[in-house]
Amino acid sequence: MSELLTAVSILFIVAGPFLLVASRFDLPMVPALVLSGFVAGAIIDADPLLELAYYGIALLVFTWAARIDLTAIRTVIVDGELAALGQILVVGSIGAGFGLALGVSPTDTVYLGIAAALSSTIVGTALLQRGIDVNLVRGRLAQSIHFVQDLIAIVAVLLLGAGTLEAGYVGPALAGGAALLLAAVLVNRYLFDVIGQLAGDSDELMILGVVALLALFVGAAEFAGISVVVGAFAAGLAIRHDPIEYLGLFNGLQSIRDFFVAIFFVTIGALVVFPFVELGWAASVEKLLLAGGLVVLAAVVKPAVTTAILIYRGHEARSATLASLNTDQVSEFALIIAIQALMLGALSQSVFDAIILAAAVTMVTSSLTHRYSEEIYRMLADRGVITGSHDRIEKWSDVPDDIADHVVIVGYGRQGRKLAETCEELGHPYVVIENDPVHREAVTSECEAAVVGDAMEDYTWEMANVDEARLVVSTVDSQPVSRRILSLDVSADVTLRAGDRTTALELVDAGALYVGHPDLLAGQQLATQIRAVLDGDLTREELRNRQRSELERHADHIPRHLQ
Amino acid sequence: MVTEVALTVDLAIIVLSATLAGFVAKRTGQPTIIAYILAGVVIGPAALGIVEVSELTDLLSELGLAFLLFLLGIKMRLEEVQHVLSPIVKISIPQMAAIFLAGMGVALALPPFGLVESVIIGLAVMYSSTAVVIKMLNDKDEATSLHGKIDVGVLLIQDIVVVIILAVLAAGQPDDLAEVATTLAVVLVLVAIITVAAIGASRSVLPTVFRRIADDKEVFFLVAIAWAFLFVFVSDNVNLFLEPFGIEAYLSIEMGAFMAGLALAQLPYSKELQDRVNPLTDLFVMVFFVSVALDLEAAQLLAHWQEAIIAGLVLMPVKFLVFFYLIDWQGFDSETTFLGSINMIQVSEFGIIVTAVAFEGGFIPAEVLGFMTLLAIFTMSVSVYFVEFNHALYERFEPTINRWTGDDEFEGGKREYRDHAVVIGYDEVTKNALPLLADHYEDVVVVDRTVEHIDTLEEKGYDAIFGDFRNATIRKDAAVKKADFLLSSSVEPVVNEALLRDADEDAMVFVEAKRIEHARALYDSGAHCVIMPPFLAADRLADYLRVYLEEEADTLEEAIDSDVELLETPDPFPDTYDRLGGGLDE
Repeated sequence: MSELLTAVSILFIVAGPFLLVASRFDLPMVPALVLSGFVAGAIIDADPLLELAYYGIALLVFTWAARIDLTAIRTVIVDGELAALGQILVVGSIGAGFGLALGVSPTDTVYLGIAAALSSTIVGTALLQRGIDVNLVRGRLAQSIHFVQDLIAIVAVLLLGAGTLEAGYVGPALAGGAALLLAAVLVNRYLFDVIGQLAGDSDELMILGVVALLALFVGAAEFAGISVVVGAFAAGLAIRHDPIEYLGLFNGLQSIRDFFVAIFFVTIGALVVFPFVELGWAASVEKLLLAGGLVVLAAVVKPAVTTAILIYRGHEARSATLASLNTDQVSEFALIIAIQALMLGALSQSVFDAIILAAAVTMVTSSLTHRYSEEIYRMLADRGVITGSHDRIEKWSDVPDDIADHVVIVGYGRQGRKLAETCEELGHPYVVIENDPVHREAVTSECEAAVVGDAMEDYTWEMANVDEARLVVSTVDSQPVSRRILSLDVSADVTLRAGDRTTALELVDAGALYVGHPDLLAGQQLATQIRAVLDGDLTREELRNRQRSELERHADHIPRHLQ
Repeated sequence: MVTEVALTVDLAIIVLSATLAGFVAKRTGQPTIIAYILAGVVIGPAALGIVEVSELTDLLSELGLAFLLFLLGIKMRLEEVQHVLSPIVKISIPQMAAIFLAGMGVALALPPFGLVESVIIGLAVMYSSTAVVIKMLNDKDEATSLHGKIDVGVLLIQDIVVVIILAVLAAGQPDDLAEVATTLAVVLVLVAIITVAAIGASRSVLPTVFRRIADDKEVFFLVAIAWAFLFVFVSDNVNLFLEPFGIEAYLSIEMGAFMAGLALAQLPYSKELQDRVNPLTDLFVMVFFVSVALDLEAAQLLAHWQEAIIAGLVLMPVKFLVFFYLIDWQGFDSETTFLGSINMIQVSEFGIIVTAVAFEGGFIPAEVLGFMTLLAIFTMSVSVYFVEFNHALYERFEPTINRWTGDDEFEGGKREYRDHAVVIGYDEVTKNALPLLADHYEDVVVVDRTVEHIDTLEEKGYDAIFGDFRNATIRKDAAVKKADFLLSSSVEPVVNEALLRDADEDAMVFVEAKRIEHARALYDSGAHCVIMPPFLAADRLADYLRVYLEEEADTLEEAIDSDVELLETPDPFPDTYDRLGGGLDE
């Protein structure tokens, strides 16, 4: 057995327990792997693993690029969420300035700036998927911010591929990058389906074909003298495809990616020269200072700057804060950029170590701030650190002063809109509360009365004149909002929405008149229909036709973006 | 300080050439293994010489064998294998003895080989190829069929024997028989220990650990891999652990990987794991097959090419006949006997390893190693076709075969689903439908990716499969294609489209969607009913609001009470509801 196999074995054996602990405490996987790398680094030499780690990087970027939703770019621009750019500039400059202040070399400061400015995609999106719905404003905001940052990261990788920013390199590098992207588009359009046809029904050959494609792009990038990451990115774009047809391919790639990416993250941890253990006092203190500074920048300054920018752009304080708290970590792209620079000799070992340490720390703290985000926001808001301006709520809201005996509808989505229509049909006064700036125009133009503000804020309820209201109907599936509404000291009846049965029952017990639970209704309808079909009361075609016309009925009177 | 890494071109060339060869093989209906081996011959030193063996390719091909055995282990549920254990031992030992004699005899009859060389050749040809047989069994989904189990069992026993022989050869010329006996005893004890450790773990620690992490897809996969590497590492370094006691012994990493997999197979989550490990295994095994031919110069490889072909032509039928006689002797039916034998006619990659070690130990010249490599490549290639078409061959020759076999029937095989109901996802939506389906269908299979749900389902007596429906194995396991009723509570279009694609034309399909465009697409793909919870909820809420504002307090109160009752005791058909709900909808 080769030395390399021993190294890989030890790597995974060490990583196992760390992953178990992380899973036990619901912490993300990436920092667990990096931390296990610290331990593995003490047992094995990381150098032979570097090549495998590079495959990890390539596969990480490759699979990420393969899933990019290109239409998202347009949405981001339309939403004006290019604010992310501002955040990168501000935090990046602060990071670089911090480096200069500590006497780090100018090239190193560039990397410090990048590490401070970029946030993690894997950690960030994993948190989003687990924690909250991306349908909520903050989820969408955080996703857009990550997305813009990732694209910038790719450009940074391309530009820093030679470890310097010399003009003689940048021009050809950009040309090479553009050529690869063009090749990717061509492959995607003409070659990809050919591979699919050649592979026939064999997932094995399909996966192999796509890995070969990756190898070609990575090889081309190396040949052109630009970073393999850019090659992998282009290869990913080249295989972008509706996953339905190639289910086996995309599932298989994920396994291969997970294996190599684990090697990458552990190796990166193993490359760290650990302070105090392997280093003298002075060097250790300097390294910890750098790492500490980066942690503060990524975990405190970055969300603060992002929040400020988002509030300035017109988002209300809570959504802005909660979205920003999703960006309070160092990105795995920063790790890729750092390891690449270290290999090129463009980055000093101490700055590299600081970046890795800071990444591991912030990825853990980030999952904690995510868990307690609502509490953090409450705390900051109560102390007056974050204040949304009431002027804007007033400016955008339109509620008659004498409104009374009205219905307050929280959320203007499918349910909210339907409820508003019902009120209009019956000629009953109502007020809609909506906090998403994207829906602002629709709300203000379509509704008789509306408050554009956050349902968590007192002022919003004041504006809606909830004291005089007859009924509050919340269509938002969010526990904090539901609890907030129940805690309003008003005489109005309250109906809420819940995502699961336990919560629904709790809310009923806590005083809600009614709690809607869409899945329960769906289950009921499903059971009724299955019974009808199985008993022979309804033929399959009858059912199908009935359901389809029902669907078209919905489609007819629901606006496009809510369908 | 670390140095700059460039990704080696070698691996890229291997992947590319294997892909191209694979496509050609697919087009012409040849097995992919042949394509990979030939790709290796073409790019290796024997022909173009553009790729050399590197540490990385070595690693990947080693991992290929290890993962292949790990994957195989994951498929072996003990209760399904136990009954063939004793026949397997009775088949494999005489088989190896017979083939050893046959191999030695053939070698002696061929001019270039002396006695020592013939003994080594005899020792090298005894085994059938784990890589070929298991890969083919996996590809054909026959690893857990009766003949599959017999072959796998025999291969594992051969594996133990290889390990022993390697240990003896590595120690140089043995002084006496006692030394051989000691090595044998130590290896057997080690195998016993590692088996006990694996099975012990699968009964004690593993269920708790994996239960906890099974819901987390990535962690689950990586911890399983870590578990495999633990066994690989221990098997490989067992010598280090034993050295202080003055004992020298080795275990193969394949044996370790198999045991690691076997331990996991006893858990209810093994199906999901199979699907995750499979693609990785395919990739690594590909590297293994390509690199089989990468080691040798053309001159060495072809020094005794005529002899290799003659030996191959003699050994393959002999192997077949020996296996056929022994399996039949153990009382298996004629089909199992035939399939189990025809699969095993090739010379193993272990043969090459045994010869390589013998070459390093100075027993034989390099040309014998070339002969062995060629013999292995030749017999593997030929046998792949026999395995590929084994069922067709059986049907063709069934009357002849039946004349030669006994009438015994060895029980085996498992029940398969047909005309059943498949439900994807256990939640508020599907929960109510399950009892209805259970009344109407003999089998209701529920696929879910949450451990707790699986427990609940099994308690209630449904067939539950733990896993992600996107995985082909899971879909196959639930026998989606043969189902009469399909219900999915996933709102992901990918899952539902996959379901509709696999579903039989006559099957009834209920799915869920969140968006109207998705629902339209699903109807277009053939769904009979698309449930859309948000729209249902919106309608219901609007109805209630209307009643509330029109001050029909009694009606509303009753309706709401019935909804709350539904929340508390999710009975899908509360009597009160039909009346009230009907009234409200109008």
